Amino acid sequence: MILLEEVTKNYKSRPAIRGVSFAVERGEFVFLTGASGAGKSTLLRLLYRAELPDRGRIQVAGRDLAQLNRREVADFRRRLGVVFQDFKLLRRRTVGENVAFVLSLLDVADREQQRLVYLVLKQMGLQNRTTAYPEELSGGEQQRVSIARALVRQPDLVLADEPTGNLDPDRSHELMELFKEINYQGTTVLVATHDRSLIAAHPARTLLLERGSLVRDGWGVAS
Amino acid sequence: MGGRIVNRHTWREVRRQLRESGAAGLVAVMLVALSTAWGGGLWLVHRWLAQELLADTGAAKVVATGRTEEGVAAARSALLDRFPGITAELLAPRGVQEQLGRWFPELSPMLLSLPDSSFPTLLNVTVSASQEESVVTLLRTQQGISLVESSRTWQRHVAEVSRRFMWIGSVAAFVLLGGCCVVVLLVIRLLVLSHADEISIMRLIGAHEGAIRLPYVVCGSMLGIVGGLLGLTLLVAVVLQLRAIIPAVGLAVRLAVTLPLAGCVVGVLGATLGLAALPEEP
Repeated sequence: MILLEEVTKNYKSRPAIRGVSFAVERGEFVFLTGASGAGKSTLLRLLYRAELPDRGRIQVAGRDLAQLNRREVADFRRRLGVVFQDFKLLRRRTVGENVAFVLSLLDVADREQQRLVYLVLKQMGLQNRTTAYPEELSGGEQQRVSIARALVRQPDLVLADEPTGNLDPDRSHELMELFKEINYQGTTVLVATHDRSLIAAHPARTLLLERGSLVRDGWGVAS
Repeated sequence: MGGRIVNRHTWREVRRQLRESGAAGLVAVMLVALSTAWGGGLWLVHRWLAQELLADTGAAKVVATGRTEEGVAAARSALLDRFPGITAELLAPRGVQEQLGRWFPELSPMLLSLPDSSFPTLLNVTVSASQEESVVTLLRTQQGISLVESSRTWQRHVAEVSRRFMWIGSVAAFVLLGGCCVVVLLVIRLLVLSHADEISIMRLIGAHEGAIRLPYVVCGSMLGIVGGLLGLTLLVAVVLQLRAIIPAVGLAVRLAVTLPLAGCVVGVLGATLGLAALPEEP
């Protein structure tokens, strides 16, 4: 599903990712971890093609991301569910409209949109906040709206950047259970987190980044 | 985008953008209305002049005036001797007075109260275009004639003035439409800049460039079309008022299509240029 070969990314000559290579199979659940500034978010940005690598090759779902034209990038992103660290909610739209927006891009009928939005918001415990605007929500609620938006179109691959960063421990574990559930249904899930306790509680394949380099690829938290 | 070019998402976005364009959008609409009404009015004036005043009917009118009825009658005789086939009607001062009274009914009481001597004797000659010059030359040599004017000479004067007026008016119309284009450009640019975050998020969740840009272009075209329709309404109102004075002034069906279309073109052009503010992706 994901293949990185010697990927390097620099920001103004400061290396953010250094020669990282790994592969993630379809249907896998993988944690990407490391301290703040280790390069987790940069790696995710490369994976949803918000950035292009300076060197190396990235393939997602069999497509070389550097070869995609503008339209293909949009089509590619439609197959992803991305949970952004800073939520990236459309602030002029309500919770319901934010989640429905990705469905409207696919021209899903209004009634079907309403049904899917209700189901996913119910799953996130936000069914009573449909008409609220993002600024009226707590950080945790905004995070859950962002997750709902990522999951509503049942993507092939979910990329989550610190998805539990604003959630209390109970909500965090509920969310991880949800990710496990959608992974069980066949979706590939890559979760970037610095929270080692989360990985310890939900052990899975874990990629450890340090200063932009991949230093460990193994199961669970290293002892 | 589900196959269709303009879908529910587009219309939703367009409605939102029209709402958000606010006062700036209203200014754009008003400016388009003024320019299209001006352009349309110009075209109507041009058509009216061409049909009513500058039409080539094949015959020319030559009008001569004299101080005395006898002098003008002598000139008429000389004219008919030289050009037997032409029509030359002599109008005595009383006849001229009554004719003017019929042409200007509002002034009729005042005109008819004046003494006959206030009006000249008039010779009204209808000639073919080929004879016009010779008739004018002959009448100017007659003792009893003080003034000779020909309709073709007047038409030439009117045509010249009309051409200059149309040229200046057209330049003004294009400048106004250019101004409209700039205003629409600024409206769309403001919308794009205020939506910059939103647009980058839309891209990140898979919106096509077309789906992002199209609502802005449609919004621009809507501003133009509404402006064009408003311009048409304005023009209709002016024409209806003018008809009371000049009955020959009329509207053309093609204007009902052209004005909103011109507004639409201006809107689309302005919006397309305004979208240059849209940041590119890597």
